[in-house]
Amino acid sequence: MNDSPHPPKWANRLLEWFCSDDVIETVQGDLFELYEKREKAKGRAIANLRFVRDVLSIYRPFALKKKRYNSNNYAMFKNYYRVAVRNMMRHKMYSSIKIGGFALGIAACILISMFLYDELNYDKNYPDGDRIYRVINQWNEKGDENKWPAMTAPFAGVVRNEIPEVEIVGRIIPYNWFLGGNNLFRSAEATQNTYEERFVYADQEFIDMLGFRFVAGDPKTALSEPNTLVISQRKAEKHFPGINPIGKTIFLNDDEEDPRIISGVMETLPSNTHFDFDFILPLKGVEFWKGEQSSWCCSNYETYVKLRPDADHERVLNKLVDIRDKYYVTYLRYRGNQAADDVVRYRGFELQPVEDVHLHSTDIGDRYNHGDIKIIWMFGVVAILILLLACINFINLSTAKSANRAKEVGLRKVVGSARGNLIMQFLTESVLLSLISFSLGILIARVSLPYFNELANKSLTFPFDTIWFIPGLLASVLFIGFLAGIYPSFFLSSFKPIEVLKGKLSMGSKSSSLQGSMVIFQFAASVILIIGAVVVNRQMNFILNKKLGFNKDHIAIIQGTNTLEDRIDPFKEELKKLPQVKNATATHYFPVSNMKRDQNAVWIEGRQKIDIAVGAQFWRVDYDYIETMGMKVVQGRDFSREMASDSIAIIINQTMADQLGFDDPIGKRITNGYARNIIGIVEDFHFESVTDPIEPLAMVLGRRRQMIAVKVSSEDLQGTMASITDLWDSFMPNQPIRYEFMDQRFAEMYDDVKRTGIVFTSFAILAIVIACLGLFALSAFMVEQKRKEIGIRKVLGATFRNLFHSLSSNFLKLITISLIVAFPLGWYTMKRWLENYEYGIEVTWEILAISGLTILIISIATISYEIVRAVRVNPAETLHSE
Amino acid sequence: MKLGAFEELVLLTVGALKDDAYGVTIKEMLEKHTGKRPSIGALHSALYRLEEKGYVTSSDGGATRERGGRRKKFYQLSGSGQKMLVEANELRMRFAKQIPGLNLSAE
Repeated sequence: MNDSPHPPKWANRLLEWFCSDDVIETVQGDLFELYEKREKAKGRAIANLRFVRDVLSIYRPFALKKKRYNSNNYAMFKNYYRVAVRNMMRHKMYSSIKIGGFALGIAACILISMFLYDELNYDKNYPDGDRIYRVINQWNEKGDENKWPAMTAPFAGVVRNEIPEVEIVGRIIPYNWFLGGNNLFRSAEATQNTYEERFVYADQEFIDMLGFRFVAGDPKTALSEPNTLVISQRKAEKHFPGINPIGKTIFLNDDEEDPRIISGVMETLPSNTHFDFDFILPLKGVEFWKGEQSSWCCSNYETYVKLRPDADHERVLNKLVDIRDKYYVTYLRYRGNQAADDVVRYRGFELQPVEDVHLHSTDIGDRYNHGDIKIIWMFGVVAILILLLACINFINLSTAKSANRAKEVGLRKVVGSARGNLIMQFLTESVLLSLISFSLGILIARVSLPYFNELANKSLTFPFDTIWFIPGLLASVLFIGFLAGIYPSFFLSSFKPIEVLKGKLSMGSKSSSLQGSMVIFQFAASVILIIGAVVVNRQMNFILNKKLGFNKDHIAIIQGTNTLEDRIDPFKEELKKLPQVKNATATHYFPVSNMKRDQNAVWIEGRQKIDIAVGAQFWRVDYDYIETMGMKVVQGRDFSREMASDSIAIIINQTMADQLGFDDPIGKRITNGYARNIIGIVEDFHFESVTDPIEPLAMVLGRRRQMIAVKVSSEDLQGTMASITDLWDSFMPNQPIRYEFMDQRFAEMYDDVKRTGIVFTSFAILAIVIACLGLFALSAFMVEQKRKEIGIRKVLGATFRNLFHSLSSNFLKLITISLIVAFPLGWYTMKRWLENYEYGIEVTWEILAISGLTILIISIATISYEIVRAVRVNPAETLHSE
Repeated sequence: MKLGAFEELVLLTVGALKDDAYGVTIKEMLEKHTGKRPSIGALHSALYRLEEKGYVTSSDGGATRERGGRRKKFYQLSGSGQKMLVEANELRMRFAKQIPGLNLSAE
């Protein structure tokens, strides 16, 4: 029918879909006729448009299909729905506890799932990311196992030449090393310096391999010339708003001898990658000292490789070992280093998939702020536990209230309901409840998301725009509905009509042993979570209050002082003249994280070719350092201005003295290639996380002075900082002062630990709330059943105590059993967890007692409310009706 | 029973079109005489109500090619419909006569 009208098909189909059969022919005919006329008069487009408009205008009651679902199924579903709603309405308290507890559990689950989803999706967006690996060093000596990612400078080049399975290899230096880390940043056109962090060095191949997208500039050549600089989009917008930054000249730290040309603007890194830079400096043409790029001495380069699709893992690892022997061991032997044999014996390699870097690096010594797969597991378990607790509430309440539904079940069976229908009915009911709880739960999660984000230091959002989110939620509604409803529905549908209609079924007694075990499970889980929360919090407090070996309070660290150049000493002296300033020291080595570090190999002088070196930090400090930081010299003396020979003196910490094996170290000479006299021993202090053991450390006099630490008096901190700022401004009018307090930096170091504690505690509390909601409803139900009994007992002379005891003893028994179950489990779990810490607390009886007591008090308070209310009622009121 | 303003118009049109009153012709006539463009949905809705109230009756007509083979539904003014129109008109006239200076006369 070529000449029949061709209005838009979808609109026509829509019309046929909603329009009833009585009306369709007439209306459709009219529409086609109009369409034809319009098409002739005004053209196809307008006719189409009008047709659609007309179709929509037909959507009115007269035209709609009449609901004529006569099938029994539909009617039954309608009936189930109605009965479910009536039941909910009649028992408002029970329904709200069921739904409320469920919603809380679901909200917690949603938040945790979002957190887990985010954590599990790090580093997934690189082209062929499944073939990209980070090369990891292993040290496999028994008792001294170690992993770290830093490689020597020439390593990558050798890999490129000698391992054909490697498609591409690139290096990055993500450390505070030379210009890596933080710098003062100034465009050649500007006068003011700005402090910027997150600088790294990298190869051109590094960008090629990971496929970072560029907004401007050519990603293929951006790092292929020396003295270039790639910056992130957000930094480009900050420094060059509205201007194309390509080709602009940049000075770092006022160094006009070494200008940088911006060669590329990279898309700002997303939050779900383990990389954390805003500026990339090229490694092209860089040599940090003479011969550095070809020397196998020093490991500062994290090296990433992309393997060919057909590459065999084992063979690549074997070839890496060959490279170790061919180059590194040869180098060590040439230097006469005694470690060479150990290297052959113990040193190995590992290829870590780039996707695993975020969550599977806790045993690898890199400087990134990693997630931890153990935490992921822990949260996953907590989420499932909370959901289970909520489901158990649901199951317990449904079966407890079964007496109220027993007659209904009996009657339905009498009039012909099969068991399957009844199961269907109760499942429908629980899915309906699950739907309501989910809606409420999503609402709760939505409202609490900002707080959760702050807690977890994330920026999570609801992924409404992803395809799977809504279907996933609906599937969960069904799943949870079934999970919670399956037992009650089988239980309720099993009643025999004759018995229930005669009233033989005793009130909810049939399931009491199961009910009991579920209550035990709920409370055991809650107790374990409380024990967990108490232990986690105590451990955190222990860490934060541990004796550090230095005094972190009232120390302000002024940064970027290297630009003072030779005026740094006058500035420091002026500072010390301020009345509120107790002392000041210029260095950039501080015992908080993210400061400069310098690892050296140290020998006792004369034994370089005999002993294995002691690895030690070498900190370059000044005369005032130890005093300003409040450290203690336990043997020998501090550096002194009077002693000219102190320029070759060294102070070591106790750990280092032990490791060097000196009985009396004062006056002995040690060397890292340059021999020095030991003049003092400083008491061990924590300079990395207090969760790690203290490593050897040495201090020498030196001029590394990016920062000045100022010890100020505790009074009038604001006034003190104002006068320090004034002084700074008189020295450096073009560079705003930048300082931070050491205790704040210290607190930030343990932010993660603290967050974990708080999040864990919140979820533990939530679990207890849910469990108590269930207990409350159960006790209320029991009291309701026994109202007459209570009345009669009271009439016969029972006291308040008698009654309370007889009503609560059953619950107390359950709770006691749950404590007995929970104590060993909680104790063992937390003991294992504390093994992660070098300095951990003990899980004492006291902790168990506190947790047990908390649960006891909370649960007694919960059941008391209803019991006390029922006991105080005048017996006449409960008994008069019969 | 009441008659809405639009319903009354439709009823008048059905009467005026005699044997040729179906969706499209009614719509076109309304457009021509009132200058307004009722939507086809509103029109059918009104016709449906008028039929329910018994003011019009309907009969199926023959199919034509331009309607894609769909039959027309022709409407006729029923007895009660006619009576309703007369009543409505009388009511209007009674009021109109009481307005001074308003001179209404049938054409």
